[in-house]
Amino acid sequence: MNIQFKKGALELCVLVLLNKQDHYGYELVQRISDQIAISEGSVYPLLRRLKKEGYLTTYLQESTEGPSRKYYQLTEMGSIHMHSLIKEWHHFAAGVQSILKEGGQDE
Amino acid sequence: MNKEKFMSALQKSLNKLSEEERNDILHDFEEHFDVGKSEGKTEEEIALSLGAPGQIAKELMATYFLEKVKNTSSTSNIFRAVWAVIGLGFFNIVIVLGPFIGLVAVMVSGWASGGAFAISPILYLLTILINPGSFTFFSLFFTIGLAGLGILLLVGMFYATRFITKLFVRYLHYNVNLVKGGMK
Repeated sequence: MNIQFKKGALELCVLVLLNKQDHYGYELVQRISDQIAISEGSVYPLLRRLKKEGYLTTYLQESTEGPSRKYYQLTEMGSIHMHSLIKEWHHFAAGVQSILKEGGQDE
Repeated sequence: MNKEKFMSALQKSLNKLSEEERNDILHDFEEHFDVGKSEGKTEEEIALSLGAPGQIAKELMATYFLEKVKNTSSTSNIFRAVWAVIGLGFFNIVIVLGPFIGLVAVMVSGWASGGAFAISPILYLLTILINPGSFTFFSLFFTIGLAGLGILLLVGMFYATRFITKLFVRYLHYNVNLVKGGMK
């Protein structure tokens, strides 16, 4: 699949997953890689960027097994950003869909 | 590749980052390996799914240096950011380095001509000291006029430099988002 396309989509996926509940890195990566083929390591640079941009915050929490884990949490700003990305995504997907339909390729 | 090899490769590629930033990143990957192992995966499996440490490092570096430029756009920060973004892919040599060299050349020549114009009366007076016979009022006033022009040019260049720097940094951000980073 096209790389630029995926990169944008990856950001949206991270935000949506964190909107539902906080996750630690590994868990978040697994959730995404279960559905989409990615190099799992690329999620971490993305998480750092989103944190720097103020869309996420992190906190440490003890785990029942082993050392404490870093959890990621969506901020208010992150939520606003997510909603605008979702809107863009739907707009984009609807456009592609209608072109496919015109071309008779929507099966 | 086992955990140790992965971590040392990552650490090596991140040697230009601040120690604090680097340790924080390494800690994230430590945690990733630990959780993966506790779920019964081997170090090799985990490293394979993470992807090449060099590629991960390139993305981290680009983000880091672009962030630094946003805070303080000193010349060295801009150079580092340009190199970091170029590091993301061969394609960037053309689309980043090309415009960058062009812009630097335009700015250097602007500053140099402004500077030369501004000090031209002094240069002229020095010439007169060496060769007093060649003095004319026309040349003196001409160089003074030139100095005024030079000062205006320098002021203009000051604003132009700030504006172009800002624009170029935005272009770099755009590139980081556009260009491949660690995707399959």
